[in-house]
Amino acid sequence: MSLAVEIDQLTKEFPTPFRREKIEAVKGVSLSIEEGQIYGLIGPNGSGKSTTMKALLGLLAPTSGTCRIFGRDSVKVDSRQDVGYVPENPYFYKHLTGEETLKFYGKLCGLSGAFLKGRITDLLEQVSLTHARKQKVGTYSKGMLQRIGLAQALIHEPRLLILDEPTAGVDPVGSREIRDLILELKEAGKTVFLCSHLLEQVQAICDRVGIIFNGELKREGTLEELITLKEQFEIVVKGDAESQAKLLATAEEFRGLEVVSSGSPKTSLESLFIQMSKEEK
Amino acid sequence: MIGSLKRISVIASHTFTQLMRMKVFGFLAVFAVIVIAIKFFELPTGNSPQKASLEELRMLKSTAMGTMGLFAIIFAVAATGLLLPRDVEDRTLYTILCKPVPRIDYLAGKYLGVLIMIFIALFLMDLVLMGVLHTRTMGVLAEHMLIAEKSGWSAEETAVERAEVLSQGVTWSMQAGVFAIFLKSIVVAGVALLISTFSTSTLFTIIMGFLIYFIGHFAGEAREFWLSQQGEVGTLVKYSSHVISVLFPDFRLFNVIDAAVAGETIPKGVIWKLTGISSIYASVYLILSWFTFAKKEF
Repeated sequence: MSLAVEIDQLTKEFPTPFRREKIEAVKGVSLSIEEGQIYGLIGPNGSGKSTTMKALLGLLAPTSGTCRIFGRDSVKVDSRQDVGYVPENPYFYKHLTGEETLKFYGKLCGLSGAFLKGRITDLLEQVSLTHARKQKVGTYSKGMLQRIGLAQALIHEPRLLILDEPTAGVDPVGSREIRDLILELKEAGKTVFLCSHLLEQVQAICDRVGIIFNGELKREGTLEELITLKEQFEIVVKGDAESQAKLLATAEEFRGLEVVSSGSPKTSLESLFIQMSKEEK
Repeated sequence: MIGSLKRISVIASHTFTQLMRMKVFGFLAVFAVIVIAIKFFELPTGNSPQKASLEELRMLKSTAMGTMGLFAIIFAVAATGLLLPRDVEDRTLYTILCKPVPRIDYLAGKYLGVLIMIFIALFLMDLVLMGVLHTRTMGVLAEHMLIAEKSGWSAEETAVERAEVLSQGVTWSMQAGVFAIFLKSIVVAGVALLISTFSTSTLFTIIMGFLIYFIGHFAGEAREFWLSQQGEVGTLVKYSSHVISVLFPDFRLFNVIDAAVAGETIPKGVIWKLTGISSIYASVYLILSWFTFAKKEF
């Protein structure tokens, strides 16, 4: 499997006005995302999630380290050929309609004619905005803005989607729709790199998760690896109440019980995150 | 290269649409009212009726072209200064730069969009001015010819009078003056573009833009005076003064606009020279803007 994203020892420092010392927003972050995966980066506010994403998109120049998209250095413009990005709370030109917005971004990517027209129609349908295609973006609700944001990110059929808080400020129904859309994209073979505060959502859709605190990637792995409590062991048994009572009374008297499953119990991503937050403090 | 030109034209046409939808062309109605209203302002000149009517034509041109110049400069500074910081504040810039769009294309597109808007605005204002001025000139000419006929002027005297009246009407030199206004706004918009690449607010860009515009009217004189005070100057001083003259453009070069208003003939060579100088200024500002913008982080 080829790598969609490679971030190697990324460090980003910001100068502070009138002071010599610099703020280190990201400290030696390394991560990689395989093609076709959904990767979730989680962390508290100001932990360096957006800075990492911006460095990957070439909006910020790394102080040290490298970011690559499908093998191409993200500082170079051509690395953006295969990327679609939806910023947190996206704003688009208010004077354009939904259709004009997609046309503008499509043309920027070199699309034109009947292909672009067809692509706009398909995307508006995919994000359930066909009814609002002639409506000015300035009148869109937050959920609609998020969806037109997704559509503009997908206009040139990129292989990688970068989503910064894709469901921020969106109601539960809208949030669910965006979640389903991300899963559809995964099925279509797209790679998704997202950061979110909604841990339940990240747990539900991500293949791999990175947890970032104070600019450092503290934990990283598959969801299974992260939420498994390795120091504990659990067995799930099936049997009559009497046998269960006996099992509870003494571990030696469990004959007649069928072991359904065994292994380490799982925590939730939310519990893990909260526990790590406490440790960081 | 072709892809780049296509992208620049996409951004330019979008910028033009954006400005159009901001209803900036509403000023055209104001301009038309000003031009038509001038007819009703009769200043007591103490001149003969013939001289007074020629003065009226000059005043019409002077007020109209002054207003055109003012509008063009306000647009050049405000529109350029507004568009870039607004894209950053609204984060629409993120979604554009995350596409395969080189930053120079974005800047050039924005700049071109503003210039197209100014060009069309000046063109429309010029049409209004030409319409009103031509009608008024024909009226004045008829009055003068009637006086000439009644006074029994010779054919030669009548021809001189006719030429004098027509020189205050719609002429190629007047059109050259309007074109010079456009060239001046190209330079001013370039200055505003450069400032907006490092400025963090629209207000700062607009104030600095106007400040440089005013400094530009005295920069040439100040430089000449300073160099004359230095006596024999070294190469370094000479080159430094040239660099300063690029950063603070010498707007005295555009004084041909006043000559056009006065009805003087503007040689073609002057306009070609002015076009060349304006193009150099525009290119320098665009390249400097690119240098600043290429390193800008968002």
